[in-house]
Amino acid sequence: MRAVLALVRALFRSFTRNRQGLFWSLFFPVVLMLVFGLLGKTQAVNVKLAVAGGSPAFREEVSRSLSRSTIFTVTQMAPTAALSAVRSGSEDAEMLLPANAVVGQPAVIQLYYNNANQVSAGQTVGAVQQAVSQINVVLSGRPPALTVAAQPVSGSRAFSYLDFLLPGLIALTIMQGSLFGLATALTRWKEQGVLRRFLATPLRPVQFLGATVINYMLTNLANTVIIAAIGILFLHATVQLPLAPLLLAVLLGLAAFISIGFLVAGQAKSQEAVIPLVNLISFPMMFLSGVFFSPASLPKFLAVVVSFFPLTYLANAVRGLMSGQLTGTSGALWGDLAGLLAWTLLCGLIASRTWRWE
Amino acid sequence: MPIRSDEGASCGVASQIRLHKLTKRYGTVTAVDDLSLTISALGVFGLLGPNGAGKTTTLEMIEGLRQPDSGEVWFGSLDVVRHPQQAKARFGIQLQTSSFFDLLTVAETLDLFASFYPKRLATAELIARFDLGEKAQAQVKTLSGGQRQRLALAAAMVNDPEVVFLDEPSAGLDPQARRHLWELVHGLRDEGRTVVLTTHYMEEAETLCDELAIIDHGRILATGRPKELISERMPGALIELAPDTALPAQPHFAAMTALDRTKDAITIHSSDLSKTLVDLVSWASQSTVDLAGIRTRSSTLEDLFLSLTGRSLRE
Repeated sequence: MRAVLALVRALFRSFTRNRQGLFWSLFFPVVLMLVFGLLGKTQAVNVKLAVAGGSPAFREEVSRSLSRSTIFTVTQMAPTAALSAVRSGSEDAEMLLPANAVVGQPAVIQLYYNNANQVSAGQTVGAVQQAVSQINVVLSGRPPALTVAAQPVSGSRAFSYLDFLLPGLIALTIMQGSLFGLATALTRWKEQGVLRRFLATPLRPVQFLGATVINYMLTNLANTVIIAAIGILFLHATVQLPLAPLLLAVLLGLAAFISIGFLVAGQAKSQEAVIPLVNLISFPMMFLSGVFFSPASLPKFLAVVVSFFPLTYLANAVRGLMSGQLTGTSGALWGDLAGLLAWTLLCGLIASRTWRWE
Repeated sequence: MPIRSDEGASCGVASQIRLHKLTKRYGTVTAVDDLSLTISALGVFGLLGPNGAGKTTTLEMIEGLRQPDSGEVWFGSLDVVRHPQQAKARFGIQLQTSSFFDLLTVAETLDLFASFYPKRLATAELIARFDLGEKAQAQVKTLSGGQRQRLALAAAMVNDPEVVFLDEPSAGLDPQARRHLWELVHGLRDEGRTVVLTTHYMEEAETLCDELAIIDHGRILATGRPKELISERMPGALIELAPDTALPAQPHFAAMTALDRTKDAITIHSSDLSKTLVDLVSWASQSTVDLAGIRTRSSTLEDLFLSLTGRSLRE
């Protein structure tokens, strides 16, 4: 036991002194979170609208109605100038009023918009349509037959992208820290002869492996806590923290990726060989398992395959618990945990059969 | 070629190391071939042979680090093959390429290794003894080759071992660091420890080792004290001539016992140097052959190895 503890302490010291490792396992996910967290903040929609055509009085009337909304920045222009302004991007859309339109008569308003950015184009068209229908109500003096009363769900909070991203990043950090970190470190020690030197002492192989597992569990758990704390305290991600089931999910995720790490390191002969192998395993999961976007948007057959990935199980469990969609008693949670356990046992078994010390 | 057998050797010293019919194969290659040997518990024992002779495999089987395919290794009354862990607790092992965690300091590394053993020497003592004081708080990755070598030696000593194994300890060291290493090894011997090392440096084998086993192709060719090995098996002296010297087709000179030709020299072995020299010189003056570059010397382990295997140690 003394030997195992001494080895855990030595491994932990090495971990804290490894700047490159700390960058990838801690700094990198935090930066990702900052970038996405700050970019993802919902900005107030602002549409720069050029109003053109129609009679000066009608144009003035429409412009004034639109200007009441904070959404629009309205400029009156000649039709051709407005069109080139839209092309150049200095205006988001041109509203071309019919030349002979008068109040009280049906008329069609042409809207020319820049569709280079489909998201903002959609916002522009939607905002203009909404505004025009309001103007119609005002002009006709009749109340609309149907109105939509929007109610935010999940209590009174708004669900931001950061709330979606944070659990995904925690899952990603666990995968990178234990799979990438462990596989590269083990291969490096194997290649340099560090492992052989340990075998030349009375230290038993199982003691070395146990200390390695304990160290990677602890360091990755610490990483997870730090990343969650930054997301919640500084970036104000709104998440729930049911500690017991969350800890269980994180530990099972660590166990699964540590097993995969041992499996990979047991096969690889050199540092050069292990990094492409780890990337081959982790990259598809990083992009498909629902870290950055929901796998619901994947083609159906791919979604089925992806649902068996260990990172999918982990991301689903962590996100389900942190979003409040799953609780410790949810069947779906235990399905994900069972998936992680299956990966742990499968890879652990193969790794123990194929592991080579040199 | 008679090979000294150790079978039936007396077990005078409790902690002597005995190898009995040790064999290890890697695929179709037999690295160690039915090797038997007794290493007495006193002094420095060297396994001398060229690269690929099976020295390291033999050493690692003695250390309990590698399982033999067949055969026995005994350390006193301890069966090393069955109980490698117990043997390792009493051994100090320096591997050919020992590496430690790059990011730990020298002191932390020694503390870590000490935690693996029931019996231990104080880290500060080891640091002082192996001249690592300046680097005690420095990370391993900052050490020079010589400092790494001394750290490896210090790590092999943390458990106050009875036997210290050194695999090619002076490989890659500059001459000064090598001298320093030899002093440290002699220090270990003077404390009453057994040192077992492998080397392919003839000079190291001659000056450092009290006893030697010459090994090639996984077999022992000769064992004994370096000086006795040479005087018994390579008596007499050698005369070296330039390689292009025009000797007769079947040269024979008085008291000549053998003649070797390599690309560097023609070597005449002589049981009586003055008789052979007189004969050689008189033949040369009659035949007007130029003997420029002629020199005489006594036999070395290198010559012994060449005569045993027909190959040079450095090939």
